[in-house]
Amino acid sequence: MKIHFQQALRALILLAFCGLIFQLHHTGDITKYINPKYVRLSQSASILFLFLFFIQITRIWTSKGDEVVHKHHHGQDCFHQDDHTCSHHHHDHGDTPFTVKKLLSYSIILFPLLTGFFLPAKTLDASIAEKKGGLSILGNQKQEVNSSESFDESDFDLEDYSFEEEIAETGELEHDLSVNEEAEEISNEEFERLKKELYSAPAIKMDDKVFSLYYEEISKDIDKFIGREIEFQGFIYKEDGLDSNQLVISRFLITHCVADASMIGFLSEIEEAPELYDNMWVKVSGVIEKAAYNGTEMPMIKIKEWKEIEEPFIPYLYPLTIKIL
Amino acid sequence: MNRVFRSHIIDITGIILIAILVYFISFSSGLGLSFDIPPSLLNLNVIFISILIEALPFVLIGVLIAGFIQIFITEDHIKRWIPKNRTAAVVMSCVAGALFPACECGIVPIIRRLMSKGVPVYAAIGFMLTGPLINPIVIASTYMAFGNDFEMAGLRMGLGFLIAIIVAFSVSIIFKSGQLKESIHLPHSSEKNRSFLDRVWSMLTPSIDEFFDMAKYLIIGALLASIVQVYMPAKTFLQSADNPVVSLLIMMGFAYVLSLCSEADAFIGASFSSIFPKSSVLGFLIFGPMIDFKNTIMMLSVFRMKFVLGILALTASVVFFTLLFVQNFI
Repeated sequence: MKIHFQQALRALILLAFCGLIFQLHHTGDITKYINPKYVRLSQSASILFLFLFFIQITRIWTSKGDEVVHKHHHGQDCFHQDDHTCSHHHHDHGDTPFTVKKLLSYSIILFPLLTGFFLPAKTLDASIAEKKGGLSILGNQKQEVNSSESFDESDFDLEDYSFEEEIAETGELEHDLSVNEEAEEISNEEFERLKKELYSAPAIKMDDKVFSLYYEEISKDIDKFIGREIEFQGFIYKEDGLDSNQLVISRFLITHCVADASMIGFLSEIEEAPELYDNMWVKVSGVIEKAAYNGTEMPMIKIKEWKEIEEPFIPYLYPLTIKIL
Repeated sequence: MNRVFRSHIIDITGIILIAILVYFISFSSGLGLSFDIPPSLLNLNVIFISILIEALPFVLIGVLIAGFIQIFITEDHIKRWIPKNRTAAVVMSCVAGALFPACECGIVPIIRRLMSKGVPVYAAIGFMLTGPLINPIVIASTYMAFGNDFEMAGLRMGLGFLIAIIVAFSVSIIFKSGQLKESIHLPHSSEKNRSFLDRVWSMLTPSIDEFFDMAKYLIIGALLASIVQVYMPAKTFLQSADNPVVSLLIMMGFAYVLSLCSEADAFIGASFSSIFPKSSVLGFLIFGPMIDFKNTIMMLSVFRMKFVLGILALTASVVFFTLLFVQNFI
């Protein structure tokens, strides 16, 4: 019997990857890294790691018999080369001697495990917003005027109002409780209904679920929304070149993982702006106006009321997925 | 007797390893926030780990498929499947890539295995370029990101396919075979007579070795990509967006250094569409999935440095000139 320490190290690394992913799920921090829609995928990675770990531990101990077979095996491969270059060039099975080069490559693999376990998961902040291009990227999306989408507003007003309130409330509840929230997949009708609500509700409530949809709709055709009331929450981001009473209240939209975060948010005007600082979370209500920044038109919110809030447990937004069928 | 003894030892080793890990985890949660680390480094760490968590499932699937190829597919199969004619082989490999849903980090171990089984280098490259770019998830996400409009999704797939064929064909002319970094000799072919279960088992251990080979390159690539995200100000580049040639170069550069997963980059691409012309956004959408920072580092584990740089330059220039040429028509 012979123990192979490198094989043991490899087994430990596989287990540690499994453990890292499991821990992130367990604490709910996983939402700080990826879109909950892909939670299943990373869970299955964790399970695969565990499975590979169980296979790997069988390689830690070899009895004499196995050893001979293994040597023989290598010998066959190396038939055409001289033995030295072969062992050097061979695909690494983890049983060649431990060298500096190997130490380096194991340290590289251990590095993310250490930082993943020991460093706290941080929410992306205003400094990232600036690096992502800040306000200039917020400019309006494509200018499509879709005339077919004009709704007769008065029809919806009354009956939708109470309904809308309900959604807002349950929406907030859900938001607190569930980390492993199922992927938000909505049907096309639901999607159209949400869109209609945007046009009909007396005040536009930007819940996390509909934020990106409403944001896009509003940016697409600002004129339709001028003068409407709006309520939303986000973090403060200030940029050079803004007036002293202006700032951006923004969110990050995560498609897959935080590396692909894109910033969305509204340029806002607020009297107390100088007192507010970067990364402070606020809940605001105000009126939509139109402004120009560097020649692009964009919505601007004149804030009437605001209050400071705690950073939400799930600070990010995720794009709505619509069932295409 | 010996066998019983051995299986006990394996159990015990497993338990010890699990115990070590549990110890570390409980230790880490107690440690928590006590360090004083600058926020930019924490941002860096979050982006870095998130890229890894996103990529790991695909890499694992990639190494398992690579293990599968190693055990179940023989050189004879490959010889029979790949057409003798070079043009036909290029087209076939691009079509196979388009049908095969992969992501750019999972595909590297797969092409490495395929090439060691005798797939010619140009066919492997064709497969590598179309695999991550053309697949249902990418089509769907592009469709949604651009306001439920098929134009961009269609252009992305069509032009991407065309570019992949041009690149693969040029590779077949320029590069000789044998670009693999080291001759990967495989323990082959005595496997045939063994039982199916045995073969499954022997597919898994090379998969683990493959994972350790790939993981270090993936980690370096992810780290570099996250450093770029945290420290490179995109703003300064965005101001020079007027000239179509410059803006195309900027967008391709972005796609390269950001190293986004092809399934997620459509929304980022769409967010640029207010600033940049359509052809530049297409450059971002087509070039990124084909080759990026993370993927280049991983390719270094398979190919010689010179070849990797050659492929990079070739792909970049074909994408660039094709888009420059078509921008008047779209």
